[in-house]
Amino acid sequence: MLVLKALTLENFGPFKGRQRVEFAQDDGVMIIYGENMRGKTSLLNAVRFAFFGRVIGRGSKATSIHEIGNWEEAAVGKYGFQVELEFSSGGHDYKLTRTCRARVTTPTSDADYQVDHFLECDGDVLGPEQTSTELARILPEQISRFFLFDGELLQEYEDLLSSESDMGRRISEAIERILGVPVLTSSRATALRMKERSEKREATAAQSDQKTREYGNQLADLHAQRDVLKADAAKLKTDLDGLRTKKATLEEALKRKERYASLMEKKDGLERLVSEQTERLDTKRQELAAGMASAWCTLLAPQMRDAARRLETHREALEATVTRWKVLQELKASATHSCPTCLQKITAEARAALEEAASGDDEAGVQEAREELERVRRRLSALSRFLDDDRGDTLKIRWEAIDELEVDIADKKGQITEINKQLETVDEASLRKDKTEYEQTVRAIDTTERTLTDCEEKLADNKTGAERIQKRLDRLGGNDLQGERARRSLYAKVHELFDEAVSAYRDQLRRRVEADATKHFRALTTEPDYRSLLINDSYGLTIVHKDGSLIPVRSAGAEHVVALCLVGALQNNAPLQGPIIIDSPFGRLDRGHTTNIVRALPTMAKQVMLLVYEDELPAGLARTELKGQLKSEWILVRRSARHTELAERKS
Amino acid sequence: MSNDKKTIGITKANYSALQKLLQTGQFASELDAAKFAMAFAARNEVPAGRTNGADTKWNVGSVDPSGDLREMVLTLYPDAREPYRLMEHLMNEGIRSLAGDAKNPDVFGVLFSTD
Repeated sequence: MLVLKALTLENFGPFKGRQRVEFAQDDGVMIIYGENMRGKTSLLNAVRFAFFGRVIGRGSKATSIHEIGNWEEAAVGKYGFQVELEFSSGGHDYKLTRTCRARVTTPTSDADYQVDHFLECDGDVLGPEQTSTELARILPEQISRFFLFDGELLQEYEDLLSSESDMGRRISEAIERILGVPVLTSSRATALRMKERSEKREATAAQSDQKTREYGNQLADLHAQRDVLKADAAKLKTDLDGLRTKKATLEEALKRKERYASLMEKKDGLERLVSEQTERLDTKRQELAAGMASAWCTLLAPQMRDAARRLETHREALEATVTRWKVLQELKASATHSCPTCLQKITAEARAALEEAASGDDEAGVQEAREELERVRRRLSALSRFLDDDRGDTLKIRWEAIDELEVDIADKKGQITEINKQLETVDEASLRKDKTEYEQTVRAIDTTERTLTDCEEKLADNKTGAERIQKRLDRLGGNDLQGERARRSLYAKVHELFDEAVSAYRDQLRRRVEADATKHFRALTTEPDYRSLLINDSYGLTIVHKDGSLIPVRSAGAEHVVALCLVGALQNNAPLQGPIIIDSPFGRLDRGHTTNIVRALPTMAKQVMLLVYEDELPAGLARTELKGQLKSEWILVRRSARHTELAERKS
Repeated sequence: MSNDKKTIGITKANYSALQKLLQTGQFASELDAAKFAMAFAARNEVPAGRTNGADTKWNVGSVDPSGDLREMVLTLYPDAREPYRLMEHLMNEGIRSLAGDAKNPDVFGVLFSTD
């Protein structure tokens, strides 16, 4: 069992200079209080850095080591930091020292630092290889999430409820690892290898006997094919693991940048719309320009209408003059002495009056009137055509549509500018790259999965074929084959045994984890109607109501409670046990749940370290609930914005 | 009338103003813009006159294939003896006042103003 003893920090984060915190080693809870930005997460990270050489920021993002060193010290030219972690495991005392030193006078990036570590066991410094082996045994990084965790990340455990999610698959694998399943699965794999080896030996023996040679040859071929297929399948599985890890990492990265990604998506959408609208605008402008050929008619329409009215009057007068002259001439020339209209006789007086009237219009004047009438008619006709060409209303509609479109485009461009401002600090190219890479990875996973399925089908066919030939070979017998046959049979049985053991152990583990998680849940939940937790194949837990129904949706707070129950249950059932260090576990919880969790913490792990702020967990509440289980209290004291001191708090 | 122009042109001074009108993107051709300018001048009752120094730009046959434009000018300016020369004058005057000093000629404003 891993027990942490002390942590010494030197210029790590806000912990300026050399500072030391001693962990309570008796079973119980230790609380380290610190307000926001005092260095709680840095403290958790110091432990993580000591073990794994990595530092994680908010949201699982790896932090640059250049940013870890104390800023006040860096301001006076002192770069780098060191962490020493003292712990015990398996009856030995260890001291792990990890140092980050600047290689240059003024470092500017991670490349300017050198990170070294060494491990002392009972006072002796171990070699590099032994150090790696020891550390991997004491606390493998793959299961570190069950020991060192950020309360905010407990949300990730919800992914276990979905077998589709890569994050869920990763957590599920880590759970099996902490529970020791790999010991059995490795043994099963070894038994299978041994069985296959003996099958090959048997085939070789069969090849040397004329009676069995044919079957021996066929078996040897199938075994060779199996080796190739297995190697292919193993490679595909490794590729698939790598791709899934990559997908999960990219998923996390995209989730972190979700807001920016949605902004970029909005920007892309807006840019697409602007481009479409600009195209529409160009078309409308062309239509307008075509229509503008007659715009001059619209501009002059009032004057043309006035002129047309004047010309119309003039035309009427001219037509009257010409008609009158024509009628009078006709009357004058008429041989009959009766009116052509009423047929009454024209008197001599009337005839004299007509002649007098006709004599007033000289022919030249009438001819001029005729010519003028022609001109007027031509002009009226021209004006009429131009007035017909006046499409003012249509032009206005087109113009306003363009205006509207221009305003719309300007508005969208304004929004794009605003988004650009918000994206100024974001590496847009990397965000796009992540997105593209994510899509490519998803496609690659799909292809690899299909190839793997294909490969596994071929392996199954190979197995069926080999079994068929093996049966025929078995019937033929042969003394030379007896020994190999017995070995093969033994290894096959051992393999079957481990195969069944893996399933049985998994079932047993699930039942145990479910039972323990339920025990924790009943202690933690404030809802009396919730009866238990139900585990699925991926170790996802669902709340069960007292009427037996499942609670399908749960709040973020409930998610935390269930995740803590799982962590507690895993700790209870894992062959590898150790401390739990939780950063801000109560942020999303109400007082009832906080109280219950504080009370239950000692049952989850032997050594529990809480990193909390006072409002999240008041000291009075912790002391009342934990009583003798509260082993020590520390506080992060502010000296300056970039300088925090670790101090033990006496109650 | 026999001395009337056979071609119509724009003065060098008005050439850039015509380009400005064209650059508004609201006219498909220089001739459309020039006709618009002519109508603008006529609407503003620019007195009849002649513009000297205009280059040759269009043949009157292209400007007024049906002769209707000539009739229209003669209607609005009944005393004109050389309608195409007057047309050229109105175009140049219109171009000058529409776009001579303006950075962005307000064609829409001119076209749809309620004055």
